[in-house]
Amino acid sequence: MSLSKVLRLRPLSQKLLPITSAIISDRKSVSSSEKQFAKLAQEKKPDWNRAVSEAEKIVGYPTSFLSLRWLLSDEIANVALHLRKLVGSNHPLLKTAKGLLYNGKNNMQAWGLIVLLISKAAGHSPDIPDMEQDKAAGVLHSQRGLAEVTEMIRTSHLVHKGLVNLQPPNNVDASGDMMFGNKIALLSGDYLLSNSCIELANLRNQDLVELMSSAVRDLAEAEFVGPRDKQNNPLPAKPKNQVEYKQFTENNLEPLVVSEALGNAQAEWTLRHVLNAGSLLGKSCQGTLKLAGHSEELQEKGYLFGKHLALAWQACLDREPFQAGSSGPFSLVCAPLMFTLQNKPELYEHIERGLENVDEVDYELLRKEVLEGPGLELTKNLQKEHSQAALQVLNELPASDARTALANIIAAVQES
Amino acid sequence: MGSKTILNVRFHEKIGCLLFGSPGIRRRACSNDGVLSARWLTQCGYLRTDYDGTSKGNRQQRHPQPVSASPAHPLVHPCVRPEHNLTTLRNYATMNTQQPGPMPDYQVDPYRLLEDDLKDVYSYIKNALRRNTYQEDLYEIATYYFDGNGKAIRPMVTILMARAINYHMYQENSSLLASQREVAMISEMIHTASLVHDDVIDQSDFRRGKPSVNVMWNHKKVTMAGDFVLAIASMMIARLKNNDVTLVLSQVVSDLVQGEFMQLGSKETENERFAHYLTKTYRKTASLMANSIKSVSILAGADEQLSELSYQYGRNLGLGFQLVDDLLDFVSNSAMMGKPTAADLKLGLATAPVLFACEKYPELNPMIMRRFQEPGDVERAFELVHKSKGLEQTQFLAKQHCQEAMRIANMLKDSPYQKGLVVTADYVLNRMK
Repeated sequence: MSLSKVLRLRPLSQKLLPITSAIISDRKSVSSSEKQFAKLAQEKKPDWNRAVSEAEKIVGYPTSFLSLRWLLSDEIANVALHLRKLVGSNHPLLKTAKGLLYNGKNNMQAWGLIVLLISKAAGHSPDIPDMEQDKAAGVLHSQRGLAEVTEMIRTSHLVHKGLVNLQPPNNVDASGDMMFGNKIALLSGDYLLSNSCIELANLRNQDLVELMSSAVRDLAEAEFVGPRDKQNNPLPAKPKNQVEYKQFTENNLEPLVVSEALGNAQAEWTLRHVLNAGSLLGKSCQGTLKLAGHSEELQEKGYLFGKHLALAWQACLDREPFQAGSSGPFSLVCAPLMFTLQNKPELYEHIERGLENVDEVDYELLRKEVLEGPGLELTKNLQKEHSQAALQVLNELPASDARTALANIIAAVQES
Repeated sequence: MGSKTILNVRFHEKIGCLLFGSPGIRRRACSNDGVLSARWLTQCGYLRTDYDGTSKGNRQQRHPQPVSASPAHPLVHPCVRPEHNLTTLRNYATMNTQQPGPMPDYQVDPYRLLEDDLKDVYSYIKNALRRNTYQEDLYEIATYYFDGNGKAIRPMVTILMARAINYHMYQENSSLLASQREVAMISEMIHTASLVHDDVIDQSDFRRGKPSVNVMWNHKKVTMAGDFVLAIASMMIARLKNNDVTLVLSQVVSDLVQGEFMQLGSKETENERFAHYLTKTYRKTASLMANSIKSVSILAGADEQLSELSYQYGRNLGLGFQLVDDLLDFVSNSAMMGKPTAADLKLGLATAPVLFACEKYPELNPMIMRRFQEPGDVERAFELVHKSKGLEQTQFLAKQHCQEAMRIANMLKDSPYQKGLVVTADYVLNRMK
């Protein structure tokens, strides 16, 4: 890939934000297969971290100032103080917090970064005054603001997802640690959400406010799809015969119809991940083109780009637990498993064991079934489909360093 | 009258730190003894002697009909905001805090005045939520508190101000704008979203006479349902297509969260504590009322001065509302249960009555610092508050705010709605629950 020549690794010490460099340099949390991949990538192949760190340079300073702003905010200082009390309590908030900073591919900065890259790749209408532009980075100030909003909404959702269900009478929380952790998690998530409200309002574009609010709605909706265990972990719906299913409404402000997709592996998987990821990234990309004054038609394509990229990404993540040498639990609504279930519906009885608690499921058995079935291959195809759909949108934009960086990110997802 | 002057000075300091945000200038010199003489209190209409002709400064006597009317409220929780149905509230309204001046010829009842406007608020909200999801369990959780059993004070005040402002600006040629009605709904939705999250945080058992959401459903779903209601409210805000209104209402959401954060911390020094409390009260309660009201004024086309005026009405009303709430937490419980059971204290919160009381009883300070966690703290603090003048002082402060709200309401052109605003301030002050 000739594009990869553009990407040359810059010394890490040049990174401004210690947190970012931590993400880039941290290899502990990255799976072993990725480690090998990273070694290979020292040569020339575009790998994920390199693609991201190079892309950051294209849109100016790395990622956003979100992390810096966190450190300076009273509320978060407060949270940090309380978080220390939680250490040792094994409240999932700690894991969420760590995941946000170190979870390689899934890190939140990447989402804002993509919004900025598509902004730069698409350019903006000539009517926009100089004052509103960040000339050096080639994006508008408002677009940078939107990228932050995207990150805040996503983070807020992840933090809220990390609560512990303490619904009485099943859950007795003797120490009070879990209740306290929930309090902090809920407030931190609300803090991010409320900040995103203010930032959005400051962009003074009501269509955009409505669009992004509908993405928040979709995220909330995602947590209600299909069967759930006591901790609200998702389980796939019982497989049913494949029926033709068209799930996307013309107007993406409308909510998605859920029930019809359930039980149909691809439709259900797509619905779940459009709601919990594709919608936010898609609407952010759509919104940033709106801010740039592009046509409705191009905005719509922006939505598709973000949506497909998020889905390709998800498919890639879903394949990870099935790579050689992997063990331990995985998401029960990952694409390889859902395809396998569709193909061999009698496996569903193993899923039903987890209806109370997903930990009760025999993961090694399911992994073996997935490895022997068509699930991984189908997931690979699915991923390719979405990557190509995203690339197709990208190819309609003029060539630029930002477009190249996006193509590299897609390639990094595809090749891993 | 010497005592009056001292009292005024003291209160002006409190109020001053609220109005001008300058915390901590509190006069240490004046001790509490004899500051509030019964005679003075009676004269300024503060002690109400109209029930039984006596006034011994005893709360029970001043409120001969305590909350026994609401057995459904075990009142164990600070977030159990006293929300009741409309009729009982009406019954408690009096006009006896009217400022000097001609009394209105007839007594306006804002709830009756707005009956048509208010009767559909909850069903409109439910429709809006219905249109935004096809998932039944999400819909059920999200609409759980929109059952029509709240007293809907936020939509009521919002619509009342909308109509009063419309009349003020356009006289007869004015009717309620659809966008103003939307703001009234949005204010209730934002409030409810915050209630839902409060319930998860504080693990309350009951609200509005039924099991609270966190008892009924998975907490993770409840949290998401709260986010959902907020998201739909934001979409509705956006559809008003008014940049200023969006800014004003998004500030409310931010205030609510920051107020909640302020409630977590109690490491302030004694001097900062009162200002901290008032700021928290503004953010958690008054901001929503003030800014919803400001939004309907903006939508009416009010200039900056007029919308600021309406904002100040809502701000004062909201502060008065919460101060009375904090006061009732000490009063209604004991009357009902026959034993001290202050819900705020149990959650470790020091509200105005305690903060006032600790001027006379400094031993409260360490208890506040440890959030009343040691055995006996709650009972002891409760007793000291009742022994001090804390409750009277809290009511006095609430009264200051309600009277300021009335003064502002009286600046608007005379109309039934404008009268309604005056009466509402009176409700808020004299409500029993």
